[in-house]
Amino acid sequence: MFKPSEDVVAEPKGQRAVGRGAKTIETRGVDLFYGDFHAVQDVTMTIAPNRVTALIGSSGCGKTTFLRSLNRMHELTPGARVTGEVTLDGEDVYAKGVDPVAVRRLVGMVFQQPNPFPTMSIHDNVAAGLNLNGGRIPKSRKDEVVERSLRGAHLWEEVKDRLDKPGSSLSGGQQQRLCIARAIAVEPEVLLMDEPCSALDPLATLAIEDLIAELKSRYTIVIVTHNMQQAARASDVTAFFNLDATGRPGRLVEVGATNEIFTNPSQQETEDYVSGRFG
Amino acid sequence: MPETARAEYLEELANLEASALGGLDMVNTALARTMEAVESQDVEMAQVVIADDDRIDGRYLEVHQSLITMLATQSPVATDLRLISSLLHVLKSIERMGDQCVNVCKLIPLTGSHPPADAEMVKLILTMGTHTQTLIAQSKRAFEERDVEMARDLVRRDDAVDNLNRECFNLAIELGDDADKREWAMTMLLAARAIERVADNAVDIGEQVAFVVTGLFREFEDASHPS
Repeated sequence: MFKPSEDVVAEPKGQRAVGRGAKTIETRGVDLFYGDFHAVQDVTMTIAPNRVTALIGSSGCGKTTFLRSLNRMHELTPGARVTGEVTLDGEDVYAKGVDPVAVRRLVGMVFQQPNPFPTMSIHDNVAAGLNLNGGRIPKSRKDEVVERSLRGAHLWEEVKDRLDKPGSSLSGGQQQRLCIARAIAVEPEVLLMDEPCSALDPLATLAIEDLIAELKSRYTIVIVTHNMQQAARASDVTAFFNLDATGRPGRLVEVGATNEIFTNPSQQETEDYVSGRFG
Repeated sequence: MPETARAEYLEELANLEASALGGLDMVNTALARTMEAVESQDVEMAQVVIADDDRIDGRYLEVHQSLITMLATQSPVATDLRLISSLLHVLKSIERMGDQCVNVCKLIPLTGSHPPADAEMVKLILTMGTHTQTLIAQSKRAFEERDVEMARDLVRRDDAVDNLNRECFNLAIELGDDADKREWAMTMLLAARAIERVADNAVDIGEQVAFVVTGLFREFEDASHPS
């Protein structure tokens, strides 16, 4: 049975439990569908822990769909289904009896548009995941997790004096860091990021990229980005998805070290895409 | 990015490559004139080469600036990035080759109008010049055609230039006791050395061809660890 490796509430104060941490994701022959539409075809890849893996490719190539399959969010879309295998350190996340909510707690997600709960305070936005996942938690413990998460998201110094203000009072970049704080508050082992900087200005983008670089020491990070310079700057491994024509399923063309993909890719298709020759 | 903008970028990159490699034709002209100046002890021709080097430097600066702008504005990657990187190297080699021709030409007035020239040594230097001109032309063609084998063949031709340079040295030792003749020979050794360096620069360009094609930079010959 798939279970979180530790319950956050049961952790010793201020420590991570031994054995927790970034996990390896493996996909084998993953096909993704929306009803009759075959969106992604036969993706087999290994996503290493403590690395940032960027998924790049033109619109409609299935990279976001693939990302959402890693924490069972794909199936939230009516008619969507998955075949093949996705494992987290060898455990099949789609195995019978596995609770998708437990998977999503271990595999956190940050979305394209910062989406703090608008009426909740900054503090409660971060604590929201704890309330959903951990049952009743003492306030002192909650405050501690909120501070640790906000520090982890490089936001603490900017908001420590106004934790009771609404999350929507923050700037776009701060809101996105708030969402990252919310995601890491529940101590996930993998962070999925779906174009986390596409709505941010260059400075806020750099702040998020710095944060990603720091977070990878604790998590497995997978990021979907349309910004190829961001993939080049912020990732260790790059996977290129493509599709032969509109209506055809997306497929994984090439995965490799980011510096190789951007200086000497092995596939002509990848070369054409990263050089801007199509797409 | 709109397709037309990308097409313009690719066209501009192709033009910059042609412009950079055109610098090799300028160097070959400078080298031919330098050899003529050496052969005829022609101070006027030497002055032309020295003055004309500004054109080579100008080409260097112009293409270099355009490539830097392209790096800043187009974020080239993969083959385009390797091409731009190697063109920056090629430009530097071209600029150095031009300077070596100037170095030779600056020596010519020093030897006087009727130097005690040794015909055999002059012949060796002229032969070095001819070989080096071939090397320069071959490096240009190898780059244009992305032909790694042709680029590697530059090493073989460069070995011939190196051997001629050594012959010059041996000849200078054997030229006898006449002080003027020895001084002339020493000056000509500097000229031979400069030409030998021009040939080395052509090999450097060949190494850039291999980098553009394969993505790996390897010196064809490692001077500090000769095989």
